[in-house]
Amino acid sequence: MVLTDAGIMYGLLAVGAGLATGLAGIGAGVGEQGIGAAVVGVVAEEPGFLGKGLFLMLLPETLIIFGLAVSLILMFAWAPFATLL
Amino acid sequence: MVLAGSNNVIEPVVEKLHELNLLHLVNYSGADEDFGMGKPLSKSAEYSEQIIRLRSIERYLEITDKMPDRQFSESEVLSQMDNVLGGLGDEVISMAERVAQIDNDIKVKQDQAASLAPLSALPVPLELLYGYDSLAVFMGTVTSPVEADVSKASYVSEVFASGSNAVAVFAPVDKAGEVSGVLSEHGFSETSVPKNLTGSISSAISTLESEVKSLEGERAPLQKKLKDLKAQNEDTILAIDEHLSIQSQKSEVPLRFASTGNSFVIDGWLPVDQYETLKSEVESAAGGRIQIEKLGEDEAEERVKEGEDIPTKIVNPSIVRPYELVTRLFAVPEYKEFDPTLLIFIFFPIMFGLILGDVAYGVISLVVMFMLKRKFRTPGWQSLINIVIIASVWSIIFGFVFGEIFGPLGLWDYIFSGSHHAGLLGTVADPHGVGTDFGTGFYGSLGRIGPEIGDFAGGMFPMYRLATASVLVLIGVSLFIGILHTGIGSILGIKTELAYGEKKHAYFEKLPVLLFQVFFGLGLLGLIVGGSGSTHPLVLLSALVVVISMIMMVMGPEGAMGMTHVPFFVSNLISYLRLLAIGLASIGVAFAANQLAFYVLMPMVSGAEDVHGNLTTIAIVIGVVVLLLVHFINLLLGILSPFMHPLRLHYVEMFTKFYSQHGGGIEYTPFGYGRRFLKE
Repeated sequence: MVLTDAGIMYGLLAVGAGLATGLAGIGAGVGEQGIGAAVVGVVAEEPGFLGKGLFLMLLPETLIIFGLAVSLILMFAWAPFATLL
Repeated sequence: MVLAGSNNVIEPVVEKLHELNLLHLVNYSGADEDFGMGKPLSKSAEYSEQIIRLRSIERYLEITDKMPDRQFSESEVLSQMDNVLGGLGDEVISMAERVAQIDNDIKVKQDQAASLAPLSALPVPLELLYGYDSLAVFMGTVTSPVEADVSKASYVSEVFASGSNAVAVFAPVDKAGEVSGVLSEHGFSETSVPKNLTGSISSAISTLESEVKSLEGERAPLQKKLKDLKAQNEDTILAIDEHLSIQSQKSEVPLRFASTGNSFVIDGWLPVDQYETLKSEVESAAGGRIQIEKLGEDEAEERVKEGEDIPTKIVNPSIVRPYELVTRLFAVPEYKEFDPTLLIFIFFPIMFGLILGDVAYGVISLVVMFMLKRKFRTPGWQSLINIVIIASVWSIIFGFVFGEIFGPLGLWDYIFSGSHHAGLLGTVADPHGVGTDFGTGFYGSLGRIGPEIGDFAGGMFPMYRLATASVLVLIGVSLFIGILHTGIGSILGIKTELAYGEKKHAYFEKLPVLLFQVFFGLGLLGLIVGGSGSTHPLVLLSALVVVISMIMMVMGPEGAMGMTHVPFFVSNLISYLRLLAIGLASIGVAFAANQLAFYVLMPMVSGAEDVHGNLTTIAIVIGVVVLLLVHFINLLLGILSPFMHPLRLHYVEMFTKFYSQHGGGIEYTPFGYGRRFLKE
């Protein structure tokens, strides 16, 4: 079956973009979970570590930025998709 | 430099060095057999004792470090010291100990009263409950009636019970075990009987309570007195603390010197241009009986190569200085490394502003920071607050660029013009175009800057961040900042490696990274702006340079393994998209708040067609409350993440290119003391 309906194509594009950001978000969350627990543990013993801890918490957030970048490219920036519309 | 002198002059020399506050001392390691550790000066033990006593007074008065309200001269401190350490100290300590004693008594009595409370209905005087040889007494509470079972266990027994399950059971000692077994079957929990009380239980409780009251009455004036003493003497005590710290620092410093029976040797670092000052001052203080020598330039170079830790003095103009906090949090630069504080000062606030980019949020954070600045007066907090203040100013500037006050189309557009979200957004059918309201914001037709080029309908000002065209522009801007930022990092990396004389590392490890990131980024930008399949010569050139840079990496010191870092460099660049992404997330929330308040809640509650219809007062109140609540939450999140994410961009994306490859340096901390409570 060949999909030719532009509306369906655009819908699939949007679903894809949503999945890219959403799944990346879940991944980043799983990563941060462990780091967050460890940081809370360290800060309880050594409050001076808070700054470094917060910063470590942000490391996995790059993942979700990648997901978002893919979404943005899908939705806005990639000409082949734009011509579908 | 090295200082050597006779023990006779050690005191004036130490005094002079401390006063000059120039020499970074290197501790003597004890490695040389001919030299031993120095001995502390004669009065050291006395100072230590005084400090311990003063610190305990401080603890009792709950004095913590603060900014001084007034400064003291040396003679003032000396004249007050005896009084504070003597009479005043005795008074404080005895009062504070009495308060602690009272606290303890009150707690004991309250515990007793609380444990007796369930038993208060028992008709047994307290003095009958203890002191028997042949009787065992069980006092406490049970969950079910015990009388019948107890009399079964021990024929001779007496049970007093009251409604609230409280019991007092008397039984012969030889039956105690059985009775206790029976009681535990009924969920018995024992209450210990205080031995010093008499009379009925309820009167004992009221006695305890009145005793607690009278103790509290005694405690209150003591606490007030302590508070008054603290208020009167806080600055004096901190000044004495400072004086004693200085004295003990001076008297204990010979422990860091190398010494023989009659002489001492001091090893230390100082800025080259200060050497002559220090030499002449110290020589005159010691009456010439001292030998001072400087390390030659070559020898210093030699020591760097050997990996000796040479202290680094961080010097920055005062407006940049707060950002040293950010640098120190990562690592102190080494002797030969570049101090990135100035770069942080340039990039960090711009990144913060680009993310937050809202006039109102910027003003609010500015006001809050000025309020906090007067409250938190320690140097660390002051630096942090200054950083956020500078960043907030940038946020206001970008707020004007983006036309955002409390979010896009927030109060800004509601008050000044009638532009609508849909009118400003590009439509699905025309993703590169813009709506009909484009350029009709507060700046009117001035908002249209530049001519129309192809699909793009000229520039726009203020730039509506939710519009398709703006997202594309901001992707470009973010990537471009990334190219610039990592590029500068790589250039500094090359410079640092050259300073350490590592030519191969500089040209085949750092240089390809620079080429790769710059041209990969430019190529990516070209593809995004020009659409896919773009064969613009610059894009092709970028691709060529990227390939060349990868070949250089393979030729580098790590060989083919050098290539494995490529994904890291790509992710470095893409990471800068967070400058756009976090900003979008934050204006998303702000936009939702405004829509909810102006276009949903207010018209709905007042039954009007839209926000420009007749609104009832209650609708406006509800709308404004919701508006403020959502904006408040957004602002809290909106200050934390624009702060942390640029920080991360510096630490991970930029600093890794050039900074502290060799494990971080030592900061230049000259022997001396920053006086705050004492006059110079």
